[in-house]
Amino acid sequence: MKRPPYPSAADLNLLDPDGRFRERLEADRQALAQLSDSHDTAELARVVHGLAGAAGTFGYSAVGEIAIELDDKLRSGHALAATDLARLLAALEQALGKPEKSA
Amino acid sequence: MLDGARSPSGAQADADTRVAAAPEGRILVVEDDADICRLLTRELRGLGHTVDIAQLADEALTAARASDYALMIVDLGLPDGDGLDLVREMRRRSIEAPILVLTARRRIEDRVIGLSSGADDYLVKPFAVPELRARVTALLRRPSRLRSRRIAVANLVVDPEALEAVVDGAPLVLPRKQFQLLELLARRRNHMTPKRMIEEALYGYDDSVSANSIEAQISKLRRALRGAGAGVALETRRGIGYRLAALTDIAAH
Repeated sequence: MKRPPYPSAADLNLLDPDGRFRERLEADRQALAQLSDSHDTAELARVVHGLAGAAGTFGYSAVGEIAIELDDKLRSGHALAATDLARLLAALEQALGKPEKSA
Repeated sequence: MLDGARSPSGAQADADTRVAAAPEGRILVVEDDADICRLLTRELRGLGHTVDIAQLADEALTAARASDYALMIVDLGLPDGDGLDLVREMRRRSIEAPILVLTARRRIEDRVIGLSSGADDYLVKPFAVPELRARVTALLRRPSRLRSRRIAVANLVVDPEALEAVVDGAPLVLPRKQFQLLELLARRRNHMTPKRMIEEALYGYDDSVSANSIEAQISKLRRALRGAGAGVALETRRGIGYRLAALTDIAAH
């Protein structure tokens, strides 16, 4: 069964009652936005790998699925395209209830 | 670093429950993601377990050698090494607690390698919390290789399942704590058992353990073994711990 893309209020109550994971998502979103303009691939890989491991478990399936895809890409030695990061950022912004940036 | 997850979580049940739960319920979580650690700790505590956290493979190995865990949950992507190497190293060192591997690796080959490296079960991230609970409970329900086996040291046989010790075929009746102590020392026969490991196995966190409690239990057990004619020695190494071994093995060294 496919998981819903974002956690329900009940999920959040059980999985992230103090909102700390949501705070992390916001911190990761800001970090990724900055990393998209830098060449710090190690830091980028660290953030993406962390999201791949944790986002889905906390109910953020849409973020998790993209992070897993990008993590696999990085682990197989490929660089991320600008569109890859844009997709992940868009999913994070959607999850956090922020409007996507206009192009 | 082992973090504060192991500290007692407020009010506890009565003393008997604590003592019974402590030796069976300690779980080591080896995971570097703080949020996953927090989630696991909360869920495992909810199941009544005591939780220790190690964020590095090195810390995990040290913890596993010092404590008798009922279960270890090991993430494969650790900052200081591959979790599979850690699992292999634990098995090489005869650390026999069941291991649930936690990983973001999704290929079937990865799962097969994990299980053949000595892990007992596999949980792929992202995981659903009810599945985590079910797997932990199922693993703890399985009799482990150690707990299901009778342990023989010279003419002494300890049967953890029957809660029975026998010397030359005659039952050796021991109070509960002394039996728990004997079982632990017999499992670790020929190896030094640190005092802290004995304290963890015999006492809950909220039990007051005096400086001489362990020594007193050791003395009583030593007398009981000698009285029953067990061909074993219970050695004390000051500042290190205690060791149970067959007299013949000691004479040979």
